[in-house]
Amino acid sequence: MKRAVLVVLLTAVVHASPARGQSLTAEADVTVGYSTDDVTAVATQLRAFGDLKAGVRFYLESAWARHSGEESDAFAGAYPYGGHLDVIETYGERLFMPGKSLIAVRGGRYRTPFGIAGRGDHAYSGFLRSPLIRYDDYFALSNTFLEHGVDVIVGVPQLYVETSLGVPADVGDEKRRSGFDRVFRVQGYRGQWIVGVSHIRTRPNQPESFAHGRAEFTGIDVRWMHEGVLVRGEWITGQPFDGTTTDGWYADLMLHRVAMGPVTAVLRAEQLNYNTIAQFAIHTTRLTVGAKIRLPRGLTAQVNLNRQSGNRPAYRSTPLDLALTYSIRLH
Amino acid sequence: MIRALFVMIGGVLLLASAARGLAPLELPGVARVGDRPKPNAVVWLESSVASLPETVKVVLDQRNLAFSPHVLAVRVGTTVEFPNNDRVFHNVFSFHDGKRFDLGMYPVGTVKNVTFGRQGLSRIFCNIHPNMAAYVMAVESGHFAVSDSSGRFLIAAVPPGTYTYHAWHPGGPTLTGSATVDGERPLEIRWP
Repeated sequence: MKRAVLVVLLTAVVHASPARGQSLTAEADVTVGYSTDDVTAVATQLRAFGDLKAGVRFYLESAWARHSGEESDAFAGAYPYGGHLDVIETYGERLFMPGKSLIAVRGGRYRTPFGIAGRGDHAYSGFLRSPLIRYDDYFALSNTFLEHGVDVIVGVPQLYVETSLGVPADVGDEKRRSGFDRVFRVQGYRGQWIVGVSHIRTRPNQPESFAHGRAEFTGIDVRWMHEGVLVRGEWITGQPFDGTTTDGWYADLMLHRVAMGPVTAVLRAEQLNYNTIAQFAIHTTRLTVGAKIRLPRGLTAQVNLNRQSGNRPAYRSTPLDLALTYSIRLH
Repeated sequence: MIRALFVMIGGVLLLASAARGLAPLELPGVARVGDRPKPNAVVWLESSVASLPETVKVVLDQRNLAFSPHVLAVRVGTTVEFPNNDRVFHNVFSFHDGKRFDLGMYPVGTVKNVTFGRQGLSRIFCNIHPNMAAYVMAVESGHFAVSDSSGRFLIAAVPPGTYTYHAWHPGGPTLTGSATVDGERPLEIRWP
């Protein structure tokens, strides 16, 4: 499966041409990064997407990334850094818009649709680390959770219900155990607000020897934007497995005003609580201030300064993260 | 009697000829850079827009993580619709020359509008997807066209006469020259 996807991706990159218009688009990102957490990182992603017949669209993405540090979550915004070549998303989808309604069906391998979960929400958004509540090592959710299944949206653009039924297909070091899982999400959009409520019931990503039962989380996500000011955040609560609970939140401010030109300023405040016996509990907070700068010739620079406190294992109090990404699109 | 008939026929032919001389014509042309055809070149003629009809609905679609068309030419005053036809959010903005705006994020199936109220080039991006880019050229003219993949363009319904034309393509300078619209000569635009 992985080999087949890679062959298709490489073929798409080599053969994409302007004459094909939007029927096939291929793109690649290459990122290098350094953090004072004693981490250097390099990452690349290949994507191909476009239209098939009868209104069906496809999307393929593969990623390889590696970093030098073992005990840091730097650069793990949306992709794993284990040094493996991973197939991230591979799906086909069909949108129907009869009248004012919206119906969308997606099948294949896709990011777990819980809360603010898209690639564009967390990769190259200005933040170089995933939120604490979305990093796989912190007993909550993970941005590297993926589903093998079917995802259906029904409603109108202003209010719809999304249901995903499938099995875990995670990438990275922490993978959920196999078994049926489901995700429900309701999203409303009005004016400057986008509000969602999500629920997931799945299998734990910890060993079965001590993690019994199911992982189950509920979350609320909110986005508000006005003239280049975006405020967004998520709050989740639930259990990674029986006998424990995890709750936490993050709130982002992203400023992209006209006078700022190519600069997007970002600010994040967040908190995570993993509640179990005192020896293993995690209570931590982090404040991130940074910027994303769109440079000429497909380059994007990102810089983050983090201030961390709490009892999360193996971290520094004020790490600085830097990254430079080159993006190219081949039509 | 025969003489009167000839006079009538002559009059009709004269009127037809005069009418043909005033009737709008099509101005075909081709845009090239050197000898290569240049797609997505905008060509417009200097002309008054006061007497032109209302502008039609113009759409700059967002689909498959791309803007379509890549280059859009509109008359000053045109309102352009930016529908999101992807399941992901998009955040359309333009911060450089021309129209400056930020539409914020909006989901699949929804539309936001922007009116391009003054002449100039607007560079359009999505703040979520760095590879999405498009151009909107707003022109003070009712006579304009964008070249196709073979560099060809067609400016419709132009009254015969001699005009000053302007031509631009992404990454290139604006050319200015003279174009005669007589139904016979195509316009050839060539950047060095």
